[in-house]
Amino acid sequence: MGNELLAVRSLRAAAEDKEILKGLDLTIAPGEIHVIMGPNGAGKSTLAAVLMGSPKYTVTDGTILFRGKDLLEQPVSQRAKNGLFLSFQNPVEVPGISMENFIRSALDQRSEDKVRPWVFHKEVQRVLKALDMDESYAERDLNVGFSGGEKKKAEILQLLLLKPTLAILDETDSGLDVDAVQTVSRGIEEFRKDKDAALLIITHNAAILSALHVDRVHVLVDGHIAAEGGPELIGEIERSGFAAYEGDQA
Amino acid sequence: MKQMINTPPARTFRWLGVNGTAAELPQEAGNYTCSVPEGAEQTFVLQENSSLQKVTIEVGPHAVFRLIQIHRNTDDTERFSEIRVNCQESARFEWYRIVLGGNCYDNCSVALSGADSSFTAEIGYRLDGSDRLDVNCEAIHTGRRTRSTIHASGVMTGASAKILRSTIDLQKGCKGAVGNEQEDVLLLDETVENRSVPVILCTEEDVEGNHGTTIGQLDEDLVFYLSTRGIPQEAIYDMMARARIDAVIRRIPDPALQTALLDEKEAAI
Amino acid sequence: MNKEKTNVADVDRSFYDFRYADDSWKVKSGLTPEIVAQISEEKHDPDWMREFRLKSLEIFERTEMPDWGPSIEGLDMDNIVTYVRPNAERMNTRWEDVPTDIKDTFRRLGIPQAEREGLAGVGAQYDSELVYHNIRKEVAELGVVYTDIESALHGEYGDMIREHFMKLVPPTDHKFAALHGAVWSGGSFVYVPPHVKVEIPLQSYFRLNAPGAGQFEHTLIIVDEGADLHFIEGCSAPKYNVANLHAGCVELFVGRNARLRYSTIENWSKNMYNLNTKRAKVEEGGRIEWVSGSFGSHVSYLYPMSVLDGEGARSEFTGVTFAGAGQNLDTGCKVLHNAPNTSSYVNTRSISKDGGASTFRSAVVITPRAKGSKAAVSCQSLMIDDISRSDTIPAMDVRTSEANVGHEARIGRISDDAVFYLMSRGISEEEARALIVSGFAENVSKELPLEYAVEMNNLIRIEMKGAIG
Repeated sequence: MGNELLAVRSLRAAAEDKEILKGLDLTIAPGEIHVIMGPNGAGKSTLAAVLMGSPKYTVTDGTILFRGKDLLEQPVSQRAKNGLFLSFQNPVEVPGISMENFIRSALDQRSEDKVRPWVFHKEVQRVLKALDMDESYAERDLNVGFSGGEKKKAEILQLLLLKPTLAILDETDSGLDVDAVQTVSRGIEEFRKDKDAALLIITHNAAILSALHVDRVHVLVDGHIAAEGGPELIGEIERSGFAAYEGDQA
Repeated sequence: MKQMINTPPARTFRWLGVNGTAAELPQEAGNYTCSVPEGAEQTFVLQENSSLQKVTIEVGPHAVFRLIQIHRNTDDTERFSEIRVNCQESARFEWYRIVLGGNCYDNCSVALSGADSSFTAEIGYRLDGSDRLDVNCEAIHTGRRTRSTIHASGVMTGASAKILRSTIDLQKGCKGAVGNEQEDVLLLDETVENRSVPVILCTEEDVEGNHGTTIGQLDEDLVFYLSTRGIPQEAIYDMMARARIDAVIRRIPDPALQTALLDEKEAAI
Repeated sequence: MNKEKTNVADVDRSFYDFRYADDSWKVKSGLTPEIVAQISEEKHDPDWMREFRLKSLEIFERTEMPDWGPSIEGLDMDNIVTYVRPNAERMNTRWEDVPTDIKDTFRRLGIPQAEREGLAGVGAQYDSELVYHNIRKEVAELGVVYTDIESALHGEYGDMIREHFMKLVPPTDHKFAALHGAVWSGGSFVYVPPHVKVEIPLQSYFRLNAPGAGQFEHTLIIVDEGADLHFIEGCSAPKYNVANLHAGCVELFVGRNARLRYSTIENWSKNMYNLNTKRAKVEEGGRIEWVSGSFGSHVSYLYPMSVLDGEGARSEFTGVTFAGAGQNLDTGCKVLHNAPNTSSYVNTRSISKDGGASTFRSAVVITPRAKGSKAAVSCQSLMIDDISRSDTIPAMDVRTSEANVGHEARIGRISDDAVFYLMSRGISEEEARALIVSGFAENVSKELPLEYAVEMNNLIRIEMKGAIG
């Protein structure tokens, strides 16, 4: 205790009347990288959505503390202001708002001091360069007409500019191409320059994980954590799948 | 003497009260009449010198005419505009209409008589309090392969009221013509009144007419997405209202004018 | 050069076009208080109904004609005979007792077979009166009432009729509702008691035989709490050279958590002015489903209306309209969302051909009370040639922020690629076009019981392929 960034206890959550998370525990300390793996339909994306406060799910039991405060009481935007970030697999298109203006407005919401546009513009250009992304991204309307790969890059761009303390990367079904995997990897590398920045990665894709120092792997099956371990679990699951854990259900 | 204005080409059920609006037109009108010569390109910002503006434009072959109208709620005066346009062969007429409050009554009728001529209406509005916007917009296709797009997008709060009657009239002879209407309205207060009458009339075979409307609240997914980036609900609504107006302004292909209009918008909202 | 087009003669309706000598008793043509009083007398109306008729006539006289739809100038009320009593005893429950020519009429339309095969009950109206009415014993035993409305008016359901009759569609609603109130005759009354589910449909068939006559049947259906019913209505008439008028009225009361499906295949002849009014009021959690096929008549004004009056009430409207030569069919629907969390779904198709005109017209109204309501309208139109007309005139009136309304419309033509594709598989162009149009109307045909779906597809085929020899 004491050094927890995120503490999830006995979390139960349902979509409409169907229970998806059935008593889940998870603890993440600052600076750690956690990975959640699990078969389709186990509740991985639900966990990410519930942490962020999606209205599609109802939490029926359990507690979540984030930086020592009750997360469930906070509206979505407050969670974000406190340092939580969720990358979307398919982010919404918002015509009429440019990427740069959008991120600047989001930052403006966080503190009394207004972000100075030209300072911010420089910062955007720097991050775009670091991600090897075209400068024109900043001018385009938020996600409008973006390809799947472009949307992914745009999410990573926001991650780096918003600087959360815990980023949840939901990569479950994304079938990333090589280019996007590179952007994500580069983005994570850049994000990790802040030693306290923690990551919760939901994925099937070991390629993203290979270059990372993973602290903990959780296997999510049927709404609860069926197994936990170090990075060696990733290779094990790559080889033998989830059958061993699924059989484990009482 | 009151008279019926903004009467659409096709009427519907009387009890809906959308077949026109009774209004008393001012005695004096500001007139603007123009013939755009072949191949020319003109942009005209209509100044509100009079509370009734009459605009008559003949757009010559391969010419382009852009009419830009912005209204800010400076007083309670009712503002009427009557716009009549004829497009000759391959001519193009673009109407950019931005309403940032007030009482506006617009009647815009565009004849696409020349082959391959086109009309685009971009209407963006932000209505609040007792603001009123009453529009009749008609694209009359008679020329072959003519194109029309009527696009309206706005946000309503307070006790504001809006009627948009938009008609795509695909008349005999307009083979190959395509008309599109798209409207989205965001209603943010219990007391708003929104009426939409998107009509497609068709007496020709080889044509296409499409229409789509969404009226109501912001999409739940969109609100969630923006919230996850730390933007509170009220700020999201404000942001979306601006976005709609900005989207209209940014379609005007004149950077200087864009900047001026964006500044004017900032001053108004 | 004109591209080769399907060559279509005027639609062959010979199947519906037979007629018998008109040996009925009728009132004089036109509309006067004397004629209305005479109808009332003839029908042994209770006093309240007689007064109601005369009051409706007054309303009719002072109400304006609609000024927004297709022309009805060809309709001269002075030439319309408002009441025609067929040469038969008023009501029969045994088929054998129906007079031969009337029996033959319905036999040729397939009514008795349909009853044997798949209906819970059948009513048949000939001109102004019901001539046959029957309900299966096992359905009647559930407490389901299905009878002609006049019998019901005088029987134990008299009070229920009085409580509901023209309360949903008052004579002040529009001119032809007033006319209906004055001269209505015939029609069905259905009552389904609470929680009774009628598994197979009830059907009424309306046939107008007399030339220059009007048919003004009144259909009143009450589906009580938690009950379930499917009601089917069919209409046809032989063609005459004089105008006939149909101004029926359908009032449907759908109780809490009840469901009513109301299906219509309308195939009036092309001298008919079909100015019919249909309306349903739906209570909390209830559901109305309209399935509507409009093929016949010279001019139609038809917009079934759903009044969603209880929380969570739902309405579905599925329609197809096919306008051929000489037809101007103005059809669609109205939905009034007047309670929280109500929802409506509208899906229509219309087809215009050989100079016919079809209009889709709708009104979706969301009142300030209807928070959390949703409405979705989708309408598609097909222009078969360049001498026809197809209009789409929807209107939406939204007065609360907590609602979502979506509307989409499309007008287009049969895709040449689709025709080419089918022809490449050895199908003639004519057949290919007929197939595509049938497919286009599938939204309705798939909602109908099989035999009606087959009948509807036959109608489309006849319309698309011209004379069938």
